[in-house]
Amino acid sequence: MQKRWYDFLYVKSPIVKIGLGTLAILLTLGVIALQLLMEEPRMEAQTASWEGRSIEIGADLFANNCASCHGIEGKGLQGVAPALDSRYFFSQRLNDVGFTGTQDQYIALTLHAGRPSKVDTQWANVMATWGSEFGGPLRADQIDHLVSFVMNWEETALAQTPEEDPWQFFQDALSKQLPYDPSEPGYQTKLDQAVAAAEAAGVSNYSIGGVEVQAPTADEAADAGPRDPEELFTTMACIGCHNLDQDQTPDNRGITAPNLGNLAEVAGDMVPGQDAATYVYNSIVAPNDYIVEGYLPGVMTQNFAEQMSEEEIQAMVEWLLSR
Amino acid sequence: MAVQPDMEKKGFLQTVGDAAGDVFTRITAGISPGEFRRMLRGEAPGRPNPRLKPHSDTFLLHIKPTYYHESVTRFTHTFRLGLLSTYIFLFEVITGIYLMIWYAPSPDRAYADMLYLLSNVPFGQFMRDMHRLGAELMVALVTLHMVRTYLTGSYKPPRQFTWFTGVILLVVTLFLSFSGYLLPWDQLAFWAVTIGTSMAEAVPPAVVGETVNLLARGAPDIGANGLLRFYLLHVLFLPLVLFLFFFVHYYKVVHYGISLPANEEEVGQDTANKIPADRRVYFLPDVLIDETVFLLAFTAFTVVASTFFFTAPLESIANPQVTPLHTVAPWYFYWLQGMLKIADKTIAGVVLPGVLLVLLMAIPYLDPNPSRRAKDRRVAIISGIVAGVIMIILSWMGTPQYAAQAAPAVEVVQELMPEEGAGLVREIGYSEVPLGVYDSREHPSELFEPVNCPIPVQIWSRIPVISVMLPRCEENMHDVLHEFETSIQAWQKSDPDFNNAYGILTVTQEQAQLKRLNWQVFWQDSTGLDSSFERHFFLHENSLYWEEYGFKDFSFLTESEEAEQ
Repeated sequence: MQKRWYDFLYVKSPIVKIGLGTLAILLTLGVIALQLLMEEPRMEAQTASWEGRSIEIGADLFANNCASCHGIEGKGLQGVAPALDSRYFFSQRLNDVGFTGTQDQYIALTLHAGRPSKVDTQWANVMATWGSEFGGPLRADQIDHLVSFVMNWEETALAQTPEEDPWQFFQDALSKQLPYDPSEPGYQTKLDQAVAAAEAAGVSNYSIGGVEVQAPTADEAADAGPRDPEELFTTMACIGCHNLDQDQTPDNRGITAPNLGNLAEVAGDMVPGQDAATYVYNSIVAPNDYIVEGYLPGVMTQNFAEQMSEEEIQAMVEWLLSR
Repeated sequence: MAVQPDMEKKGFLQTVGDAAGDVFTRITAGISPGEFRRMLRGEAPGRPNPRLKPHSDTFLLHIKPTYYHESVTRFTHTFRLGLLSTYIFLFEVITGIYLMIWYAPSPDRAYADMLYLLSNVPFGQFMRDMHRLGAELMVALVTLHMVRTYLTGSYKPPRQFTWFTGVILLVVTLFLSFSGYLLPWDQLAFWAVTIGTSMAEAVPPAVVGETVNLLARGAPDIGANGLLRFYLLHVLFLPLVLFLFFFVHYYKVVHYGISLPANEEEVGQDTANKIPADRRVYFLPDVLIDETVFLLAFTAFTVVASTFFFTAPLESIANPQVTPLHTVAPWYFYWLQGMLKIADKTIAGVVLPGVLLVLLMAIPYLDPNPSRRAKDRRVAIISGIVAGVIMIILSWMGTPQYAAQAAPAVEVVQELMPEEGAGLVREIGYSEVPLGVYDSREHPSELFEPVNCPIPVQIWSRIPVISVMLPRCEENMHDVLHEFETSIQAWQKSDPDFNNAYGILTVTQEQAQLKRLNWQVFWQDSTGLDSSFERHFFLHENSLYWEEYGFKDFSFLTESEEAEQ
């Protein structure tokens, strides 16, 4: 057999070979022992990592599906959807609605099955059923990611002062108690806001933090004088669907309802025979009489004539057209 | 064996020693302690050779030859690739069974089981990394084994059928690896397998293709049924087929002997089984020691590699509605993906691979040249090399680099922060990405200079050998932005519709421990029209992203130490 230049690489002695094999075993066992030492922190890091990734995916889902109603930062949108990055939401909400499970289960339940009620609610939109098992668009694992994301607000939300808490206490039947300590800074501001909101919503026998609120009777309401149209636009939840800052054009249409930015220019041309003021007035008191093409009848509240006085509706029409 | 008379005759120690020797001889099936010592010293056996007895007495050794020709035991003749292929199959079986304990083949559970395995099972990640690395090595080793056999001409008579079964084993290996691909039920798995099985649909005529596709997927699209089928193929059917053909293959190898180096015998002769007495190398102990040491060294290599340098990828959960950018097949099918890009699905996906496979199996029956010597086989060797080069080119064409690019702005962002997988930004991680607004124009690529960053792995840096292998030190925000600009500049040069481009990266705090990275790229097309692209990603403090190949991030070790203090 011919000699080759690399022949010196061949190990001949069986003892040296066995020694090399032993070294390989020791190296393998050494590395496995090293892993054994690292397993505990590694598993912890992996657990945290997948929770973190779950939050990342949840954040993406939230931005695409939820932020339009619940706000980009989960601060809620007045009259549209409640705040989620809220101390009240994480500390008191479950008690108030009488839910016996945990916070994450409550969020998961709401996401899966939605909130199928339009009765006695201050919110313009219903919470849809997001879970695919109820005909919604999201799979169970996606809802789990969203729950992780919303739960990630817990720490910052619980650190909020009452004043910072974006939760709006108005008509919500059971939240009659402010869950805050009166000695906390910001308690008074929150109390004032809650009382003002309850009064604006016209609820009766409402007790917030020991302050009794009586529903203004029809006479009292008249005595109190007409409410400000700009304020009514918010408290009547118009703002939830109608955007005042955007023009309604073929390229830029409001999603649920027409934008009102250019209402003054277009209102007079909508229905033949109706001038701008008549059209807007009719649209408030009898929304279904004329539906702009592309929108659904019955979406807008039908009883504004009962909720607002004649004078207030006239003021609203005037304010809308003068903007 | 009467103990008492023995003790009286030989004394206590002698009796115990003899009994121990007897036990040793029984366990080794005929090797006495004295013979064993002589083996270790490298001494020649006596006559008759007592080292042959284990071959006739034991099941596992009776399938091994008792002696080999000296020339074929040299490492550089076979590189022991066949042995290694067999061993790695065993290795896959062992690691695979470990993974099976925590795995249920159902779309509802498979992915969650993966997460559980990674985060709650001791050695779960290690076993998964080893199994995946083993699968990729198995494909590579089996292929190399075939290349070696081709180059030494060992497929020639009388070993044609050995080659034939070898090609079957290669195909089974590819299918084994591919069927395992789907099981984690992540995006990588789902889309690679969707592409793979869609080729089955192209089998002509249409009704056959549809039926094959339906049989493989269990439904028109991959779902619960498809996953179960792939699982059963992976853990039951294909291993059984492999097992069967392995024994046929190995029987043929032993029956004809390993072919000698071509220049040691006359052309047309086969003297592998006529080994002169002075050229014999006995299995016991020489070949056994060589093979064992080699396999131990290989095991050590695999363990070290999967501990420090290899991470089995796991993307987000399979989503049939979302196709990730740059969906690719496993690397060993890049060549097929490359062919599919340039030719029709039926021709490139079914007809050509089928013809290639038949051709490969038929090589020994078609090759008329009786010589195995390289100088007589110039045509065969050159065409083999040309085929290899074509495969490499086709494989390159199979990668997203070739003819599958998205718009430049999309590619720029994809490079730094891909839709799936790690990327530079996720690798440097949450803490290295400070809040702020960054403009790529402020980080010109000409001024690119690596900056010294603090080494994240302080524990390892105390060990000199490992600190040399630590990740490159320029991985921080500064270099991300240089990379951003460099990438934009590179695309500007190659794409006429991408001019005056710049990028803005906005990092904001979305939640506690969660940052939002908003990528914007602005450019002008060839007519001067302004365009922009925007994409946001979220990054959590605790999420770890590892590239498949590369030094793993062990920063969690130092972090948990800090937390304890």
